[in-house]
Amino acid sequence: MPEITGFAFPNDIHVTWSLMIVMYPYITGFVAGSFIVTSLYHLFDRQEFKPVARLAMATSFAFLLVASLPLQLHLGQPQRGPFVIVTPNFTSAMAGFGILYSFYMLVLVLELWFVWRQEIIERARRSRGTKRAFYAALALGTYDTSPEAIEIDHKAIKILAGICLPAACMLHGYVGFIFGAIKANPWWSTPLMPVIFLLSAAVSGIALLILLYQVHAKLERRPVVASCVQALASWLWFFLILTITLEELELIVMAYEKSESWLIISELLTTRLSFSYVTMQMIVGGLIPLILLAVVVLMNRYLHEKVRNTLATVAAFLTLIQVFSMRWNIVIGGQLLSKSLRGLRSPYEPEIFGREGVLVAIALFVAPFVILWVFDRVLGIEEPEGGPAANPPAAPPGAAPAGSHVP
Amino acid sequence: MEHGKHVFRIVILVAVILAVVLLARGFLVPRTYGLYGRYRGANVAQQMDARPVLYAGAAACADCHSDEATKRAAGAHKNVNCEVCHAPLGAHILADGSVVKPPVDRSFTLCARCHRKVAARPAGFPQVDLEQHVNGPVEGKVCLECHDPHSPKP
Amino acid sequence: MSDCHDGCDGGRREFLAGTLKLAGGAVVTVIGGSALASSSSSPTSAPRPGGGAYDWNEHLWAYLIDTTKCIGCGSCARACKAENDVPDGFYRTWIERYVVGSEDSHVDSPNGGMDGFPPVQVGFVANKSFFVPKICNHCRATPCTQVCPVGASYRTKDGAVLVDAESCIGCGYCVQACPYGSRFIHPATHTASKCTWCYHRITKGLKPACVTVCPTQARQFGDLKKEGDPVRAVVEHDRVQILQGHLLTEPQCYYTHLDKEVR
Ligand code: SF4
Ligand code: SF4
Repeated sequence: MPEITGFAFPNDIHVTWSLMIVMYPYITGFVAGSFIVTSLYHLFDRQEFKPVARLAMATSFAFLLVASLPLQLHLGQPQRGPFVIVTPNFTSAMAGFGILYSFYMLVLVLELWFVWRQEIIERARRSRGTKRAFYAALALGTYDTSPEAIEIDHKAIKILAGICLPAACMLHGYVGFIFGAIKANPWWSTPLMPVIFLLSAAVSGIALLILLYQVHAKLERRPVVASCVQALASWLWFFLILTITLEELELIVMAYEKSESWLIISELLTTRLSFSYVTMQMIVGGLIPLILLAVVVLMNRYLHEKVRNTLATVAAFLTLIQVFSMRWNIVIGGQLLSKSLRGLRSPYEPEIFGREGVLVAIALFVAPFVILWVFDRVLGIEEPEGGPAANPPAAPPGAAPAGSHVP
Repeated sequence: MEHGKHVFRIVILVAVILAVVLLARGFLVPRTYGLYGRYRGANVAQQMDARPVLYAGAAACADCHSDEATKRAAGAHKNVNCEVCHAPLGAHILADGSVVKPPVDRSFTLCARCHRKVAARPAGFPQVDLEQHVNGPVEGKVCLECHDPHSPKP
Repeated sequence: MSDCHDGCDGGRREFLAGTLKLAGGAVVTVIGGSALASSSSSPTSAPRPGGGAYDWNEHLWAYLIDTTKCIGCGSCARACKAENDVPDGFYRTWIERYVVGSEDSHVDSPNGGMDGFPPVQVGFVANKSFFVPKICNHCRATPCTQVCPVGASYRTKDGAVLVDAESCIGCGYCVQACPYGSRFIHPATHTASKCTWCYHRITKGLKPACVTVCPTQARQFGDLKKEGDPVRAVVEHDRVQILQGHLLTEPQCYYTHLDKEVR
């Protein structure tokens, strides 16, 4: 039984939304965030992001595949999950999410297909047997890589990216809406919520790409392009400043207005959430990376490559923690406070094992990286150097001349 | 558009997937969904029959226990439903018609629930400070020794 | 679809729903309405409202609580638990005790008031003290049905807010959305659960169990569509209050003599 200080409505002492609902916006945030990075290149032509553009798109996809899992795992009746699509109630933010999610999935898969089409065709041409059949099916049976077809692809990619970016932003802004539109809970109910969620999604997406880029470059034995790290770091800095400012502004307004809920919210922040909010979200994940990134951005010219990479990596890692703490403080914090506005329950400790436990949460976070790895094996994340037909050792030289028939 | 074949194919594929989803949806929507609103209409009737009625009200008790009923109706407890002290009728006469003797708490705790002095109770309501009111230990059927629960006098 | 109490926002939604229903419906007619898996298990297969002895078009229920009459005996909470088989540690109705001084206030509700209230000591000078029974407000503009993604929570024509446990996916969104803490996830079914105003009773001409047993008539239940109904008379002619009016949920549980401390 949780302990209560003050008075909580007797049904208000359960944390109905568990760790899974913390993971849900965290993971969805990476979907939107990394797509923003890929759009910077595909849509806004910022060449400095070229080295991570494909990686970012694949990352967005990998996280999207897992994004709805935490929700599903959290349901009391998971087998009825599809009813969110079958009999959606359109006044519900959650039903809206189901539809947005499916839509975004559709558009992103289409975009991926156009971007990776040449590789698919290359691989189809190079391999044989079931593998060939697989790639041929992926290519939908047309092997057209003529300049005209490629030109069409480029157009499609542009259009789809144009749809995908707002869809990604909506998707995550919408997650914020799920909380921000709950007027019963003063810690959630603010129109700033979707904005804060979106900005912190950008933060988490960029931070993750800084890390992934370093790792990926190491694995592929490619050099890390300094201008790319530099660009990522400055955007991360920018979005982090915005996020933290908004997060603070929200509190300041509440405190200044002395809204009826401020009393209990200030108590919540200084007691139950003092570690996860003040220490983690504001200092370790906020202030410190802000300073580190400021160094990276402002003193760029004087930094040795190693130093820049290290600073950026550390800052990125800390911001990932910041974003997680923010999700935690919103989702869990909002449930520690009773709607009587008179009481707080004792801190929530997630179970370790079990469907909504810590292990599953970790698995959910790791899963996208596994998907990325598989993606890399199947399609190759980076464009093969020096034109198609480069690294994969699986293809015996000259095995598949274009158009040779399958036995 | 001879080079747009692949675009054509993928569009067809998407259309097929959408059609399949819509088709599947048609199968899955509950039959009475949308009958009265955006919910499963059959549930309204289900809610009406959700469970048997347990608390039947004092009038139902009077059918068999007319003596107590008349006495109660004339006294200070006239608005107190029998089932408050005697447990619900549904636990006394079971669904199959068999009769079970209901457990009755005759101890002072039953009376104390309403009549112990608690500051939050309305001032005009009869309340007693048990320790001061009772000469001797407050335990067992001490209240019933002086008061008749069916027609209590102060 | 004609019932527009719970916040229909105009034609677009209706239209959208219509289209979807069309899409689904067309298929159903083609298939011949077979294989409708999820609606089979109901004991009463035919939808009845208006058809059976009870016609929901003739009623509009409302609940009225006079806080000055409540003696905090907890009979209501116990009756509710027995009548509705409410699991331990969860409450469809409960009683709160307020002890209010000019400097401070104290509120408690031990086990929802189910076992009555022992005297309490507070560390400040108390000026007044009273009980407040609480229950689902069966809001007319319900935030809880608004957020339900699958339409498992809904408001009936006669004004009760119910949960269809066969459709509920157990997402808990409604639990978050209710400002009054009236809802919980049932530990056995893992679906949302709440006060139904004893829908199985009121549709048979009885009062909810809590009203039936309340020894002081602090709790009353009435019909806003019935001439001369006592509750209707109070709601229409007296000064009545509601909980958290600023949230505009239009509660259908009215109070008289509420205090500023009550939320
Ligand atoms: S009190 Fe809560 S559960 Fe009841 S109708 Fe209002 S919002 Fe819904
Ligand atoms: S828990 Fe059930 S009734 Fe509540 S919002 Fe979710 S699906 Fe609807």
